[in-house]
Amino acid sequence: MGCDIVTVSTDTQFSHLAWQRSEKELANVRYQMGADPTGKVSRMFGVYDESTGLDLRGTFIINPEGKLLNMEMNFYNLGRNIDEMMRKFKANIYMSKKTNEVCPSKWKDEGDKTLVDPGAKMVGKVHEALNT
Amino acid sequence: MSDTCIGLKLGQIVPDFELATYDPVRGDFGKFSLRDQIARERWSILFFYPADFTFV
Repeated sequence: MGCDIVTVSTDTQFSHLAWQRSEKELANVRYQMGADPTGKVSRMFGVYDESTGLDLRGTFIINPEGKLLNMEMNFYNLGRNIDEMMRKFKANIYMSKKTNEVCPSKWKDEGDKTLVDPGAKMVGKVHEALNT
Repeated sequence: MSDTCIGLKLGQIVPDFELATYDPVRGDFGKFSLRDQIARERWSILFFYPADFTFV
């Protein structure tokens, strides 16, 4: 899919190594684990919590031109849904190829119904557009 | 009082940045750079979380 996932926390890369090698839940991890101990990158993305020195649960999707297309942020106690992250990622890839289509709320995967050329003609007629 | 703010705006070009990384596939340390991602025409998903050795 031409995508790289990077996890990031304010732990060092040494901590990531130790964690990945000891925690069986992480045994099959194939993505890079990024370290931001100074918090510089985390502050830039707005996830750094000055009162704890830890990052909030933020996810950011950046396209191959470096443009930020999506962000999601949760507080410490709420885990993110990975299926939802993949749904949004697939939607963004699809729309980057089909620039005249938009993905409505029920869109889950390529092949699902999209709205094509939304414009003046579709105003007040979204129900018809979704159900034909 | 915690002090967080949204640093970036949707739709903007993200400023170049680098992160030291641990790569479990190679079993070695490496580097992630946005400039390299753009040069290789790859999408990036950044997944921030609070701390290693914790739960959720």
